[in-house]
Amino acid sequence: MNIPNSSTAPAAGEYAGDEVSAIVLDPGYSSTRAGFAGEDVPKSVCPSFYGQRDTDSGLHYAFGENAIHNPQDRLDIKNYWGSDGIVEDWDVATKLWEYAITDRLTGAKATDPTKNGLNDGNTNGDSMDVDIEALENNEKPLEESPLLITEPGWNSAKAREKYIEIAMEDWGAPAFFLQKTGVLAAFASGKASGIIIDVGASHTSVTPVLDGMVLRKGVQKSPLAGNFISNQIRQIFKQSSPEIPLTPHYLVKSKTQVDAGSPAQAAYKTFANPPTDSFRFNEEERVLTEFKESVVEVWPGPGRFSNGNNEEIARNTPGRPFEMPDGWNQVFSSERFRAAEGLFDASAALTSDTSPRPKDEHTIPRLVQAAVQQVDADQRPMLLANIVVTGGSTLLYKFNERLNYEINAIYPSTRNKLIAPGSVVERKYASWIGGSILASLGSFHQLWISRKEYEEHGAGIVEKRCR
Amino acid sequence: MPPFKDDQIIIIAPGSETTVAQLGLPESFTPGKVRFRSRMFPAEKAGEFEPYKIRRKNEKSNGLSNDDAEEEKKPATEGEDDEIIWEEDRISEEGAIWPIEEGRIVDWPCFFALITHVYNTLNPPFHTAILLITQPAWTPREHEKLTQFFFEKFKTPAFGLMDAALATTWAYGVHTATVVDVGKNKTDVTAISEFIPQTQGRVVSLPGCGGEAFTAGLLSKLKTKGFNRDMCEQLKRSQICEILPLGSVLPGTGVAQEKDVITNPASAASTGATGSGPAGAATIGNIPRGPGVDTEVGEETAAEENEGVLDVASIVAGGKMNEYLAKKEKEKQDKALAKKKGAPAPDAANRQARLPNSRREKATFLYTDHALLDTLKNMDLGTQGLADAKSALNEVTGKQAQDHAENGDPTSATEANGTGEGSSGGPKTGSIKREIEVGTERFLSDSDGTLEKIAAAVHRSISSVDEVQKRSDLWDSLIICGNGSRLKGFKDALLQTLSSKYLISPSSATMFTSEIPSNISTPAGTGANTPQPQLGPHGGSQVNPLLFAATAGQNLHLTSHGGNPLMAGMSQNTHSSHGQTPTNIKVVKPPEYFPEWKEVGFDEAAFLGAQVAAKVIFVVDQGQSKGYMTRPDYNDQGPQGIHDYSL
Repeated sequence: MNIPNSSTAPAAGEYAGDEVSAIVLDPGYSSTRAGFAGEDVPKSVCPSFYGQRDTDSGLHYAFGENAIHNPQDRLDIKNYWGSDGIVEDWDVATKLWEYAITDRLTGAKATDPTKNGLNDGNTNGDSMDVDIEALENNEKPLEESPLLITEPGWNSAKAREKYIEIAMEDWGAPAFFLQKTGVLAAFASGKASGIIIDVGASHTSVTPVLDGMVLRKGVQKSPLAGNFISNQIRQIFKQSSPEIPLTPHYLVKSKTQVDAGSPAQAAYKTFANPPTDSFRFNEEERVLTEFKESVVEVWPGPGRFSNGNNEEIARNTPGRPFEMPDGWNQVFSSERFRAAEGLFDASAALTSDTSPRPKDEHTIPRLVQAAVQQVDADQRPMLLANIVVTGGSTLLYKFNERLNYEINAIYPSTRNKLIAPGSVVERKYASWIGGSILASLGSFHQLWISRKEYEEHGAGIVEKRCR
Repeated sequence: MPPFKDDQIIIIAPGSETTVAQLGLPESFTPGKVRFRSRMFPAEKAGEFEPYKIRRKNEKSNGLSNDDAEEEKKPATEGEDDEIIWEEDRISEEGAIWPIEEGRIVDWPCFFALITHVYNTLNPPFHTAILLITQPAWTPREHEKLTQFFFEKFKTPAFGLMDAALATTWAYGVHTATVVDVGKNKTDVTAISEFIPQTQGRVVSLPGCGGEAFTAGLLSKLKTKGFNRDMCEQLKRSQICEILPLGSVLPGTGVAQEKDVITNPASAASTGATGSGPAGAATIGNIPRGPGVDTEVGEETAAEENEGVLDVASIVAGGKMNEYLAKKEKEKQDKALAKKKGAPAPDAANRQARLPNSRREKATFLYTDHALLDTLKNMDLGTQGLADAKSALNEVTGKQAQDHAENGDPTSATEANGTGEGSSGGPKTGSIKREIEVGTERFLSDSDGTLEKIAAAVHRSISSVDEVQKRSDLWDSLIICGNGSRLKGFKDALLQTLSSKYLISPSSATMFTSEIPSNISTPAGTGANTPQPQLGPHGGSQVNPLLFAATAGQNLHLTSHGGNPLMAGMSQNTHSSHGQTPTNIKVVKPPEYFPEWKEVGFDEAAFLGAQVAAKVIFVVDQGQSKGYMTRPDYNDQGPQGIHDYSL
């Protein structure tokens, strides 16, 4: 329900935000967020994972939650992001973004007139005209909405040009702007300056922002983020004895209650054509997400988890039970602290043949240190007083306590302040919300890159205008 | 003085199959007064639509005419025959366009025509506010389009939109719920937390999971017996079609079997072909076929009979009606003869009849044969001939119909699904009814795992609610609604599927963590270090039952602890926001204080919720809460303003 509060809501004419109805697109590794500017939460959140089916009649893509969790023969689950945090598969990214926008925001394109049954009755010449008209209308899904896309702080110049090309050429957007996630996350918390710590799915980044501008050389990123924690959990499962089986939901028909630690006694499903490994991996990830939400805890300090008798203390705290989709269950006591410890202490990370020990400089405290290092000394206290924490993986239990401890340990003499929105939505979608705020500001209108400017200067204009 | 009175409000709830509407709010809320099939027929002029099928009366050209509307159009446009009389066929649905598919509006001109038809049927006075129930699949841009249409076409003084799932929670009077809306060909799952629908993870229009899926399931089982889609649809709506609880045994099987075997014999027996689901396909062949498992005795003859019985329409069309009627007559006589003899057969039949449906091997339902009627109409029989043929073919005499009514046959169902008119009366006079017998296939409508898909969607939807601590409340308040969920046994089966797959049982290791040595070693797979004594399935816990009872503040459940996963307070997870869900799955009890709704059930609760909401936003609070957009608002802000007003 939308009950405007008379004390806060500006009059309709006061700011021009409503009139443009810009769309804000915030693609991330785990989910892609899209929504109308001026709203407080993205209306469309769709997974960045997509299904790809290689059938005899060619490649078929499946987008959205409904499509990718259905066990199907030869359905591969992929992601369009590259391992370096830059979009890799542009074709699919374009399609998926378009899906995210059209499915929940602007409405699906009208189905092809030859198929929708409209013209079943009349096969005369009239319908042909309609076809062409409809096709022309269909071609550009975003013709009436300016588009603001967020990008990671380390995006390459080439990738940035690609964004505007997609928006202008493929979607026919009338205006476009590109902004870095770090800046927008700061805006979402009402800050123009600060250090933004963003722990997402594939990457952790630390971005120093001064007066709404990213200090490019200060941007730090590392692969120690949500997916890293998932891998750590997998290793915990593997290394425990007996090995903990990880069975995703789709394999289980019904489960039976068993005693803690005893083998599962579930009825399993059988598939004539078993789904692909990538499908299984993605479904396992969902179980791991649940594990992260309900079991994993960050050692809150003081000291590292491996220090002194911290491990002993952890062992004496009550454990947390977890039940697998097949009914296997156990209490996790001190192990649950271990999964996320690698984010802060590289030496504590579990290693195996496939996952080597993470680099020391990739841990969050070292990233912050490196980022602050790049800032003028007299700006540092100001930045450290505005440390914005965002990203889904920061929702780990006691994450902020630990981060606070670590930062105070590095900078004991400054007044360090963590700004972490309490609301989960604000934490997860901070950069989208920042984009929503920015794009609805009346004063932002002069910053849009208009279609005309794009046609005049070409894709290179992003480098000049979106800094 | 409220801006609108109770009788100046229109509520419209469009759906893929049925559109419900009502003018005015009665003193006590009743189910929607006017029901429309959500379809229109293309009119003569392209882009225009008619609410009923228009067919030519006294047609000369045989057979051809039932092909398409196109055929009928030609003579009219050429204007060569002035004697053509057009008649509205209010029952046939041939060539209809259904503007809403899977909850999405796919054909806007047709949809607008439908809404216009609805509006004109209601024929409201000028000063009437409109509340439209929106499907979750409609996007904000589409909301704007609708707003524009309503203001500019109907010049309505006030217009509001309300989300279907939200409306459902209003009906139930709860602020937090998970609404599972099973529609015609889709299911929406919406988690609503404190009146706010969670847009993230909302399962919108899960394709292929609706009433249609069950019809298709029945069809795949019964195709070999000569059933067509329409028959399966009506079978599904009849009382005898049911989804049995998991693990129950099909009647006639005799031997208790394992759960997963149950679906198989029938699919093997009835089709002998590949099952429709992958699981079915995989398991076919593992099961011994042939009589004894699930095949009915005398199936072959039944099938032969059915062949003859079921294809009446084609027989009639083929001009063999008289032979068929003669045969039918003979059968009737045979039956009568058998009855006179007083053979033991009726006894057995009676015994069968007295059993509850789920125990009966075979059951019959009334089938209203539209196809046959269509064929007859196209055969140019003349009024008298038509009537004769009808009465000859109509097997169900008044008495039989009554019997069926007593059996709990679907008088209410036909009413609720009444076609065309919206005049919800009894069975239509013009229709031809026949009795059809089906075997245990009627319990197997969920053959390709639709229930599991819906259950997975519910789990996914709740699991993606961001605030972890809200999830447990959402699991505690499920609302299963939508006309697709009318299928008997569906709700229970869905709940069962959810519990058997997703319910988290209290872990035996943490009943009382403080009493367990903190360094509990990982138990060996043998369970050797599980403490004694064994009590129930969870004998491992070292819980002092008295202590437990004291802390849980409940009566002593000495024997049941651990055995009852639904018992409140058992969950270790309640001590913090972190914990797995669901530890408990419950459905919300429907409200008690709407007697009219109670009779027909709360499957269309969204409409009730809209009535409540309409009362609140249009009448009670005098427009204070801005739950609707007024005409001046629209003039100021245009269609885009609707987002500030809708619920």
